[in-house]
Amino acid sequence: MPKPPNDHETTYKLVVVGDGGVGKSALTIQFFQQLFVQDYDPTIEDSYTQHTQIDGQNCLLDVLDTAGQEEFSAMREQYMRKGDGFLLVYSVTDRQSFENIPNFHTQILRVKDRDTYPMLLVANKVDLVHQRKVSEESGRELAANLRIQYIETSAKDPPLNVDKAFHDVVRIIRYCMIFF
Amino acid sequence: MAELGEVRIEESLRVKIDIHPTIINLKETGEAKNLPPYSVSNSGRNTFCSIKLDSEEIYRTSVVEKSVNPFYSQEFHGEIPKKFRYLSFMIHDNGSKTDKIIGKVTLKKEELYKYHNKEHWFPLTPLDVDAQVQGKVHLEIRFDEILSTDPESYSSHRMAVRILECSDLTVINGSCNPYAIVTLSHSKHKEVKRTIVKKKTICPNFEETFFFDLENKGQNHDRNLYNFEDVFNGSLTISVLHDDIKVSREVLGNMFPGTFLGEVKIPLRDLDIRSIHKAWYCLQPKESSRQSRPDLGSLRLKISYTADYVFLSHYYDALRNLILHSCEIQPTTAGAAYLLGEIVDNRTEAAQALLKLFYHHDKLVQYIKALSYWEVSKTVDPNTLFRGNSLVSKLIDELMKLIGLPYLHNTIKPLIDEIFTDQKSCEIDPTRLKEGENLNDNMENLKYYVVKLIDDITRSGLVCPTIMREVFHAVKETAASLYPNVSTIRYLVVSSFIFLRFFAPAIKGPNLFHIRQDTQDSTINRTLTLISKTIQGLVNIVSAKNVSYGLKEEFMVPLFESLSNPTHVDKVKMFLDIVSSSCGTHLKNIEDPIILKEGTLIKRAQGRKKFGLKNFKKRYFCLTNQYLSYSKTKNEKALCVIPIEEILAVERLQEQCFKMNYMFQVVQPQRALYVQASNCVEEKEWLDVLTKVCNTNKNRLPTYHPAAMVNGHWLCCKSSDVSAVGCCPVSGGLPVTEIKVAIDSDREVEKIHSLFLQHMEKLDAFQDACGCQEVYTGDTEPKSVLVIEDTKTCYETITQIQKCVISLEQEHKRYFKLVQRQTVIGSIDTPIGECSTPAIWDSSVRS
Repeated sequence: MPKPPNDHETTYKLVVVGDGGVGKSALTIQFFQQLFVQDYDPTIEDSYTQHTQIDGQNCLLDVLDTAGQEEFSAMREQYMRKGDGFLLVYSVTDRQSFENIPNFHTQILRVKDRDTYPMLLVANKVDLVHQRKVSEESGRELAANLRIQYIETSAKDPPLNVDKAFHDVVRIIRYCMIFF
Repeated sequence: MAELGEVRIEESLRVKIDIHPTIINLKETGEAKNLPPYSVSNSGRNTFCSIKLDSEEIYRTSVVEKSVNPFYSQEFHGEIPKKFRYLSFMIHDNGSKTDKIIGKVTLKKEELYKYHNKEHWFPLTPLDVDAQVQGKVHLEIRFDEILSTDPESYSSHRMAVRILECSDLTVINGSCNPYAIVTLSHSKHKEVKRTIVKKKTICPNFEETFFFDLENKGQNHDRNLYNFEDVFNGSLTISVLHDDIKVSREVLGNMFPGTFLGEVKIPLRDLDIRSIHKAWYCLQPKESSRQSRPDLGSLRLKISYTADYVFLSHYYDALRNLILHSCEIQPTTAGAAYLLGEIVDNRTEAAQALLKLFYHHDKLVQYIKALSYWEVSKTVDPNTLFRGNSLVSKLIDELMKLIGLPYLHNTIKPLIDEIFTDQKSCEIDPTRLKEGENLNDNMENLKYYVVKLIDDITRSGLVCPTIMREVFHAVKETAASLYPNVSTIRYLVVSSFIFLRFFAPAIKGPNLFHIRQDTQDSTINRTLTLISKTIQGLVNIVSAKNVSYGLKEEFMVPLFESLSNPTHVDKVKMFLDIVSSSCGTHLKNIEDPIILKEGTLIKRAQGRKKFGLKNFKKRYFCLTNQYLSYSKTKNEKALCVIPIEEILAVERLQEQCFKMNYMFQVVQPQRALYVQASNCVEEKEWLDVLTKVCNTNKNRLPTYHPAAMVNGHWLCCKSSDVSAVGCCPVSGGLPVTEIKVAIDSDREVEKIHSLFLQHMEKLDAFQDACGCQEVYTGDTEPKSVLVIEDTKTCYETITQIQKCVISLEQEHKRYFKLVQRQTVIGSIDTPIGECSTPAIWDSSVRS
């Protein structure tokens, strides 16, 4: 049970999007439960909350884990409207999931009716070195084109950059609140 | 070469509608004061958006409640069967009793291509009847020289304006009594003339000529010449009005009764004084209504308007064969269909056309088999099989949408409707619980819906459309052959289509699958999400090796614990088996039959021997998805096996035949099997399941005999011929879920052609890549996304595609030239003031 809200606490609604099977739930569960789920269990829409401290500031993270299949794309817009920040996840072993990132990016900007919005490009499954199909270079290039930041993650134990990815999105949201 | 009449023009429209926040600028109208105070102004309005072709409404979105920045997020897609000039979007206020239109966006057909497939903000303009015009007018203008009797004077000119007719005028309140006003205006001079009123017609034939003298009488010659120039700075206006006695309105400074229907304004300098000018003109909105507008907000639209120019079938043969050949070509990635999927930016359009083509030519199962074999063999982890968005998943997705909608509605609509009526809360997340809600009650509500829906879905397996079952069968077999050691793979594969891409999204968003037209409020939204989650979660438990549902949302755990009992798990497994069972006989031997129903029934001897007593005996019956059989007792060898293909009809039997109730008949090619059930419930269950099985049978009979043949004649129709055709039509007909979709193969190939054409550069780049890889088989990482497995075959396919596309495109260009040559501006088909022939602007877009 979450603690009662603190007066000084800000709630950040984060949304994890990306194609099916790229590891959105694995990242989310690793972040919340510190566990790696081996089995793949497609998600429709799950939400998790956690009180945490990022850069010395208390906050409540409300994370929405979503369905990656295109059949749900029209339904995404309702929750995209509510999100404060987004993790755009692709798998470095699945080129198609990388190719689809701009679609998510465009959809978010369109729904938000903004030119820029707090987002982070997350290259997941970097532990699978031998099956890697999308290089770090192409990932960074895409991030630069979309004018967002880039991070490489692995949800498999020991996790790489999982907490950092979620925290970075909050930092980006805070930064945007100050400067825009 | 294609003649004009041989080319069909098929138009379709796809629009995505959003809206901009600035609609807040609206002033509240008089109606608002009667509303309770809290609903005034700042809580927003209830609005919806409609789409109109000229004056005909073709679509409306659902109502978005209490919002100053409604987000419709809805999509319309449809074929356009008629000619139109304007496409309009109206924002309606749903607050008052009668719909009030807040603002609108009107686009001319010929400007649609400018916005094609791009997001665009359109400012809303107020509704103005004067701006809503349609129709055209046929005019003749000539200049006569009048020779004066006075030899000293210059010759003077007279302009004759002949109003011949109008066509396609707007109907106002059910009537149209049109008349026309002709106005000549130059400098300060204005001369007005009018026709008589024609009653009850939208195509009035006026045939009136008006004369205007183009000289100033009594002026000196020098001035006269000057004035003549002055006249040519002026203009001629023809206004068409509807004579409505009830409405009186000021037109052009004079009082003319009526409603404005449109006008044409012709600057006189545009006319050649030496020739007769006769042409059709499009009526235009009133000039005053074209001026700038107050800020009403704006509407964001993404409009895709396409016009396919479909030629005669033989023009498409080469490209069609090339695409269909993708089934056989090895490797699959070198096929034309696969290449199309790779070069397009969004696979939906390509997948739709490919699906229809393969389906129409009976090659779908074969192609999906080939494609899925490739995809499965490339998948690293069997867990993520078919989870991404690939061409094969897109094809199956589009198949389910094209063929499966009636099946979907039939299966889940009853419960979805119940949920919308009930409005019960199902929230089981303690942190989201609203005040006064009880967690246990909500849990019971949710369980009730989920259990009922699982029942509805798992019972629907037999009515799942045949083509879907065959496709699922193909992907399942492919996956099983490549992963023989993963026992759950068949459930994983089938569920990732029928649940994850079909039932789960349809339950979560029923209005996107046309199950409901109304919007979901937040409670229903949440209920549907929870049901969709629970059902998908349950299916995951069935299809995954060991799902640890405890790791996901905590509040869902008790629900899964209570639902994942063997009964539900077995039901889901059996359903997945049935929807992926092959309906053809050719593959049956490799599959185990699935038992659909078994039990004891009494049957009459079938009379395979000509003589002998036709007695009644107790037998143990067993119906599987492959055959109906009976034996003496449960575990004994079958005495008789009737393959499903031989069950031609299943119907009740009239009681008086054998003086026995609960009797039904299983009609086979040579005879009928008469069976008696022990009670009415048993009878219904057997009839239901047998009928479902028989329904997918291609040989199903259209008629049957409701009675038996006793003492040498049919009791029903008295015919003495044993093989006499049935005298009564079979009940039911084809199941509603088994639909036949008419497909226009040529049009689909035309679409594929234009997709290739739009992405020619990418195709060329792939071809270059094939060439490069052929030469340098080094270890450099290929820059392109395309997987080139066999550069030579791939190169050849691309060459063939280019050849087909170029020759088809030459045909298009020739056709457009022909159209342009034969188009006469000012003719009834191409009136002045509009490009009504899309070919003209299409040709400019294409080149």
